[in-house]
Amino acid sequence: MECCGPGYASPSDAIKAPREKLLYTIAIYTGTGIQKPDYLATVDVDPDSPTYSQVIHRLEMPGIGDELHHMGWNACSSCFEDENMSRKYLILPGVRSNNLHIVDTATDPRAPRLHKVIEGAQIKSQTNLSGPHTVHCLGSEIIISMLGNAKGEAPGGYLHLDKEFEIQGRWENSMGDIKFGYDFWYQPRHNVMVSSEWAAPNTFMPGFDLEEVGHLKYGRELHFWDFEAREPVESFYLGEDGLLPLEVKFHHDPDSTHGFCGAALSTNVIHWWKNDAGKWQWEKIIDVENEQHPDWPIPLPGVMSAILISMDDKYLYLNNWLHGDMRQYDISDPHNPVLTGQVFMGGLLGKAPSVNGVDVAGGPQMFQLSLDGKRLYVTTSLFSTWDNQFYPEIREKGGVMVQIDCDPVNGGMKINEDFIVDFGQEPNGPSRCHEARYPGGDCTSDIWL
Amino acid sequence: MTTHTVTIANRESATYQVNARRPLLEQLRDQGVDLPYGCEYGGCITCAAKLVEGEVDQRRQVALNNRQIDNGYVILCVARATSDITLEIGVDSHDKLYRNPFLDPLKPHELKADIAMPQPSSSKAIGQEKEG
Ligand code: FES
Repeated sequence: MECCGPGYASPSDAIKAPREKLLYTIAIYTGTGIQKPDYLATVDVDPDSPTYSQVIHRLEMPGIGDELHHMGWNACSSCFEDENMSRKYLILPGVRSNNLHIVDTATDPRAPRLHKVIEGAQIKSQTNLSGPHTVHCLGSEIIISMLGNAKGEAPGGYLHLDKEFEIQGRWENSMGDIKFGYDFWYQPRHNVMVSSEWAAPNTFMPGFDLEEVGHLKYGRELHFWDFEAREPVESFYLGEDGLLPLEVKFHHDPDSTHGFCGAALSTNVIHWWKNDAGKWQWEKIIDVENEQHPDWPIPLPGVMSAILISMDDKYLYLNNWLHGDMRQYDISDPHNPVLTGQVFMGGLLGKAPSVNGVDVAGGPQMFQLSLDGKRLYVTTSLFSTWDNQFYPEIREKGGVMVQIDCDPVNGGMKINEDFIVDFGQEPNGPSRCHEARYPGGDCTSDIWL
Repeated sequence: MTTHTVTIANRESATYQVNARRPLLEQLRDQGVDLPYGCEYGGCITCAAKLVEGEVDQRRQVALNNRQIDNGYVILCVARATSDITLEIGVDSHDKLYRNPFLDPLKPHELKADIAMPQPSSSKAIGQEKEG
């Protein structure tokens, strides 16, 4: 299709896009003991480049203590037909500081520059929100899930920005009975948004007190929204199967009603869909068993902190941050996933203490898949305080980025032996890398109208 | 104006004068002490330091559980000195701040203040709690 705006006409067009040559990942010093700002790292992922598998640029944030975490674009394929839009700005929220950093990645993609900062204090005073997490663009507007009010108490709400990054106020008309916020994804053809639940910023920011799960300080519900009315209309109580329901993904196919959520502590994948009678249904489709750790008296949960769906909707990828494995499931039949690939990198079970000669502190945590489904880039840090609890050695070793080669036809995963980025060797000392994005869009940023 | 002396034990015992009415973080930073911080309202633990001697008022903090408080941690972005104090600062002071929650559970009285049970006051009470 001859067009005009950012992204691709359809998921099948996205799959045919040129291979990524650069990727961006955030790297943090917050909570590490190094008194430097967090930064956006540009990683060279072009095998033909002399600087392949290296950090080639670092954009520091203006101050310390942001805890950069997830990111999002100002525009995606939902603006494909809008010639006035372009995928130019990456939005980098600071979970702890509440600052939003708007970064221009288009003027020089190898060396992104800071375009604008929306101060955390301004967001608090205008909207009574804090704890920014997921960023999605909605046509030409942007909404960000904010996990708390200005005092860090749940449930927070949604911050609405216009395309000039001016604060428009709260996006939602009501939070209904929602107790917590976290991630969200929407499927406009079905007028639905689904949101998940972590906890109040004041609960999760200081670290993970497992006992607080029993005191209902962490979430266990999924919420279905009337997207146009901007209010929740139905909630599913997932119970013990859905403790800490975090990442939410719909199929990329805009006609599909199937979606998935990873329940981190239960280490389950929850699947939902709309049945023939027009009712939303859910079921648990993957249940990762706890593992026995050689020195632990109690079994160790996987802790599935992220999930991702390939652009062709054929594979679901998940991590077990504490076990140390990444898995690939064929979800061609979303009710009956089939495990087709698994690799270990780090983790507490000692199955892969080093990868390509680099000691891995942490386990597989965030990941981004190439549009063609062949390259999965995986990082190891979850959140500074949680890292410090489970993997204290990450303070000296820093995070790593690993590339896993995936077979999108027959299934299968294998660590790429030519690629590793050791954030333990950064010029200012060991930092921790987290979410990654590609300049041309990726498997977690685009939604089709 | 009441002032107190802050001694930073792990910075060669450097001393600073602080106003008793303002939070320690901003006053120490104003005097050039390089301190970690994040939320700046007492909710995220990034600015925690260990109080070795003296007293602070940190009623506004919501980041620490009772075990962390018992181990001497204070939240500098909201804590005010109520006497002369000695602190250890930065992550060098965080040896007891983080624990693996699967291996080292909190007792009911060690949870955060809003959900903690009262601390058992005698050895008999502790014995009962174990049996229970
Ligand atoms: S800076 Fe967050 S608790 Fe002090």
